[in-house]
Amino acid sequence: MSIIKSVMFDEWRYWRRTKVATTVILIGIALALASVIVNSIEVRQASAERTELQRISEQTFFDQPDRHPHRMVHYGHYVFRTPSPLSIIEPGVDAFTGTAMFLEGHQQNTAMFSEQRQSSGLTRFSSLSPAFMLQVLVPLMLILVGYSCVTREREAGTLHVMITQGVKVRDILAGKFFSLAGSGMLMLAPLAIASLWAGAHGESLAITASFVLGYVVYILVWSAIVLWGSTISSRSNASFAILIALWVVLCILVPRIASTTAATLEPSPGKLESDFSVVEELRALGDGHNASDPAYEKLKQDLLNQYGVDDVADLPMNFRGVVLTYSEKKLTDVLNKYAEARMDEELSQAEIARQFGWLSPMVSMRTFSMMIAGTNLENHHRFLREAEELRFDFVQALNHAHEHDLDYHTDINRYVNDDTAKAARVDASHWQVLSSFDFAPESAQFRLSHSLRYVLQLLLWAALMLALIKRASRGVM
Amino acid sequence: MSEPVVVAESLNVRFADQCVLDDVSFTVNRGEVFALLGGNGAGKSTTLKTFLGTVAPTSGSASVLGHSVTSDSDFIRSKVAYLPESVMLYGHLTGMENIEYFLSLADVKRSASDIEAALKRVALQADAWHKKLADYSKGMRQKTAIALALLRSAPVLFLDEPTSGLDPSAIDEFNQLVTALSEAGSTVFMVTHDVYGACQVAHRIGLLDQGKIVGVFERSGSELIDTEQVHTAFAKRNA
Ligand SMILES: Nc1ncnc2c1ncn2[C@@H]1O[C@H](COP(=O)(O)OP(=O)(O)OP(=O)(O)O)[C@@H](O)[C@H]1O
Ligand SMILES: [Mg+2]
Repeated sequence: MSIIKSVMFDEWRYWRRTKVATTVILIGIALALASVIVNSIEVRQASAERTELQRISEQTFFDQPDRHPHRMVHYGHYVFRTPSPLSIIEPGVDAFTGTAMFLEGHQQNTAMFSEQRQSSGLTRFSSLSPAFMLQVLVPLMLILVGYSCVTREREAGTLHVMITQGVKVRDILAGKFFSLAGSGMLMLAPLAIASLWAGAHGESLAITASFVLGYVVYILVWSAIVLWGSTISSRSNASFAILIALWVVLCILVPRIASTTAATLEPSPGKLESDFSVVEELRALGDGHNASDPAYEKLKQDLLNQYGVDDVADLPMNFRGVVLTYSEKKLTDVLNKYAEARMDEELSQAEIARQFGWLSPMVSMRTFSMMIAGTNLENHHRFLREAEELRFDFVQALNHAHEHDLDYHTDINRYVNDDTAKAARVDASHWQVLSSFDFAPESAQFRLSHSLRYVLQLLLWAALMLALIKRASRGVM
Repeated sequence: MSEPVVVAESLNVRFADQCVLDDVSFTVNRGEVFALLGGNGAGKSTTLKTFLGTVAPTSGSASVLGHSVTSDSDFIRSKVAYLPESVMLYGHLTGMENIEYFLSLADVKRSASDIEAALKRVALQADAWHKKLADYSKGMRQKTAIALALLRSAPVLFLDEPTSGLDPSAIDEFNQLVTALSEAGSTVFMVTHDVYGACQVAHRIGLLDQGKIVGVFERSGSELIDTEQVHTAFAKRNA
């Protein structure tokens, strides 16, 4: 044990004296810290802003004066998704999906205000998220710091001296490994601090602890990769070339191949194409604003028969409201069908891409990170569904008011003059139908149990590296 | 009572198609200084490396303190202080730090004053102790490595060209040091092409030529081995 410690401390002493490694590590820590700070300020601001905007939006809706109920359907309402606390480190899909949505009748809008759609030019730097730093840049820094950890001693002959002094190869490699892992942990420090912050802002301990632990395992895997590269190489420049090539493959190429494969295996119909067929289907439904549209003929006949009257004017409810309720339901069914199909596609693409975690620890770490942080695709879909549910509920509640609280004759005569227009209104108390939107992250247990596969991927990588290093250590002499 | 410490029996080492050691046999007893003398490329360093387990014998056997090199090299390495042919220590560390570090790797605890005593014993000037090894001369590095070997206080010493790079007075001091160590019970196995030096310290000399032991010279009583005689044999072989 003391020998491993000696080797580890000596490696650190070498880094200090040669300055290069120290500089790299300091840059790593500074970058990680800076990205955590910048990102957390952004997220905090956004979070505070959204809570406020949500409150204002609801208040504005409630504060509307007496109006015709259908004007409120078109007046609409905003919902905002407050970012999860850990998104200060792992923005996940939040970076390119929107986190706000405008809800109105007869439409499903796409989410708005995504970081990447808004940003251009200089602000692109904001895509240097702490997660990207830790998943992609920290491995690179570990390579810069450690590629020569064994080859240097081999080239200088000191490896030979150590071994002929009776130092076990295993102990030398363990010492080098811990020196690398230790520097990796330093670069994780900002993550640990940010996780504490997330804990203080409502994230559960189980989540923050697993999040940090996941990154620790990832750093250990990369430290092992670097050690392995240096152990199997006879010269430092060979080790450097091997490790940089591995980094490019594991951190750049495989993730790219993953998304390309996903898109090829699970092609999504072009947006235009699906937009076109939605429009087609919607057109067949008829226009809910026009109660005499032939599409509602059967609805009308059924009602007339049911109440034994000859004219819609004699029905005990406002027929226009009935049509609006009916058509909103039909329209929503169609829109949901397409929305669900699109989400299914997105999800199966993501699932295919996630399988590439077996081929690259970076991919498994990325998925794990998003799953635990609650910034994964499923979470965004849940936001879309919950927002849609809220939209449908308030539109239908307004349509219900239209149907039962607004007289048919008053309604059809509202364009005659100002007075009739004033008469065709319902009381503002009806606006209270809007339920408040608070989108909460999934429970800790849910997130943890859905991350198991990625934990397995990471552990498999750890086991693989251990086996490879064991093998390489036999060839050291 | 002679106790065999370093034993080679019909040792053969081949690299590819080259026979580097050819049926080499010898025994070094406790407290003895044995020198393997030979020209460049005779196979001297290879013999040492075989005993340290970094070169595997093709056939035959070699053992140290009764432990075979093929099965017990960890044990052997822990009992042997080895001074390699070219001193390979850390350039970014001082002489002191190098010694401290390698001692810690060998799990040997020595106080700073012990280390200073050893450095004095090998006559490394005190103002160099805390200088980076990268700034040392060849002889200063050699002295540092010898000091390290001494501090290991291992029962067996393997020395590969120990006096190379040392000035004449340092060589004299070194020879006295080796004699003192053997009198204190250490077993010394050295390889060299320095005939005079070998005759000064060795109890026995084996003459190695192209991987074969072609002659053995021994002290008679307390008289040193005759330099003239060894030199003639050596020169004849390397003519
Ligand atoms: N690892 C190796 N692979 C192939 N040949 C080797 C190897 N090590 C040594 N040799 C060869 O074995 C022979 C003996 O080498 P060795 O280093 O033992 O000589 P030496 O007696 O120590 O010479 P010197 O006095 O120059 O140090 C040489 O011909 C050398 O080329
Ligand atoms: Mg040699």
